Amino acid sequence: MEIPVVFLGGQYNHLIMRALREIGVSSRRIMPKTTLEDLKGIDGLIMGGGAYSVNDGMGRFGRLPEIVERADFPVLGICLSHQLIGKLLGGEVVKGRKPEYGKTVVRVIEEDEILAGVGKEFVAWASHNDEVIRTGRERFSVLAESDCCRVEALKAAGSPIYGVQFHVEVAETPKGTEILRNFVNVCRR
Amino acid sequence: MVCTISGPNGNQAFDPASFAEEKVAEIRRFVGEGKAAIATSGGVDSTVCAALAHRALGDKLVCFFLDTGFMREGEAKEVGGILTSLGLPLRVLQVSDRFMEGLKGKADAESKRIAFRQTFYTVLGEAARAEGCDVLIQGTIAPDWIETAGGIKTQHNVLEQLGVDTRSAFGFRLLEPLLDLYKDQVRRLAVFLGVDLPVAQRQPFPGPGLMVRCIGEVTREKMDLLRKATRIVEGELSKLSPPPKQYFAAVAEDDRRGADERIARSAVGASGKAWYLGARATGVKGDERAYGRMVVVDPGTLSDPAELFWVTDKVIHEDWGVVRVLLSVKERDHGGYAVIVRSVETRDFMTAKPTPVPRAVLERVASSVMEDERVGLVCYDLTSKPPATVEFE
Repeated sequence: MEIPVVFLGGQYNHLIMRALREIGVSSRRIMPKTTLEDLKGIDGLIMGGGAYSVNDGMGRFGRLPEIVERADFPVLGICLSHQLIGKLLGGEVVKGRKPEYGKTVVRVIEEDEILAGVGKEFVAWASHNDEVIRTGRERFSVLAESDCCRVEALKAAGSPIYGVQFHVEVAETPKGTEILRNFVNVCRR
Repeated sequence: MVCTISGPNGNQAFDPASFAEEKVAEIRRFVGEGKAAIATSGGVDSTVCAALAHRALGDKLVCFFLDTGFMREGEAKEVGGILTSLGLPLRVLQVSDRFMEGLKGKADAESKRIAFRQTFYTVLGEAARAEGCDVLIQGTIAPDWIETAGGIKTQHNVLEQLGVDTRSAFGFRLLEPLLDLYKDQVRRLAVFLGVDLPVAQRQPFPGPGLMVRCIGEVTREKMDLLRKATRIVEGELSKLSPPPKQYFAAVAEDDRRGADERIARSAVGASGKAWYLGARATGVKGDERAYGRMVVVDPGTLSDPAELFWVTDKVIHEDWGVVRVLLSVKERDHGGYAVIVRSVETRDFMTAKPTPVPRAVLERVASSVMEDERVGLVCYDLTSKPPATVEFE
């Protein structure tokens, strides 16, 4: 089983690989310029966070938009990559009204597979200035929200493409490992 | 950047035995027939790295301790003892004047860190060459290069990840066997390598030492106050059960000025007070470096810090430039300096939350610290990481 991690320069990208290793999944670091052809044979893909805004241009995302559009494997985007997925699927990314740095409480709207078994609400850690919002034309469903952020988790309509605004890979998100396991289970099928 | 997960360990939970075996072979290959130097601060990363390198190289390893002038009381002696217990003779370099010289006139946190790094490698390069070493081994771990490459703060031990060619700049080849590890994994490796438990459990101490806790410009007076406060804070907080993952003191000028009324109101209500400090401190917000203001709050009640952790969000939502919110434990209208107590709980130091230290313990710390008439304010840092970092600069 192999799930590579796309590094976008964020503080916790390397921790995603650590978390995957700890649940017995092979991982390697890849860069945004990686093509779909390079990714042949993988079971799933996780895209990490980073320090810029999707509204400042798509140049730094390399081939990721194409990968999100055409992937035949499950994809999980975290933080900045969650915002990328939200934007590609017709949502809008705006400056958050109240930025979240550190602890937040995530409320589950719809479990789907990715949030199965994590309860109605859970503590998570986040670190972001921008957030995804719905436009009425979006091609995703909102799986979770918080007081400061309207889309904490999303799932693309009709495909196993997920986004989470909070960080499942940090030790301060106790349910993070469970959510990663859920994603790995989606990749197993 | 070297950070791919590779080797037999790559795809499972961390196993110290196979990690050590793999790294010993790598160190031997890299050093070849030559000699290697290592600088240790007595912290767990560099001590474990020294133990690992010693296992690989035996007496082809020369171990240095730089007395930068930013060490705690009795540190040099303690570190000497730790290394001797591992069978490693330690050469102590008395170089505090050169570090003070390099810092002259610098108050900005990044300028201080960059000046420290420059002096560090210049001094170490000279000493290593004098011993005939052409390789420097160092205990850089994952958070060091992640924070440096991410522009959060310049860790003194990160060079190659920034594109610095160490051979032409400082005259040595660099090897960093622990790059992929986090602190909890280093501690497990320490136990495997037979490092004494108190050392394996020793709380982190930054390479630039007390320099990054002496907020703003470094002066002899501030360093003197900080050393005393450090002894008091470490003495009191180490008695907590269990002891916090990291706990220490920092010092800044006490130049409190009134904060925005909205901040005071939303954070501590009508009966409370809030002030800005003049000094700035380092934080990390949305994966970006933040270098911003510190706000001191006094709710007017004798609350435990744990009841006030929520206040940090309130303050930051009023003023996005704030990186730290401090609870005033004790204050008086003379003094001139503020001593800040910092204590955190964390697995890997990438994220951290403040320790719920009981008010009574902080009161005791404050009373002892304030026996020095130069201290006018003692605070407790309520901020998690993010938005603050663990250290102040």
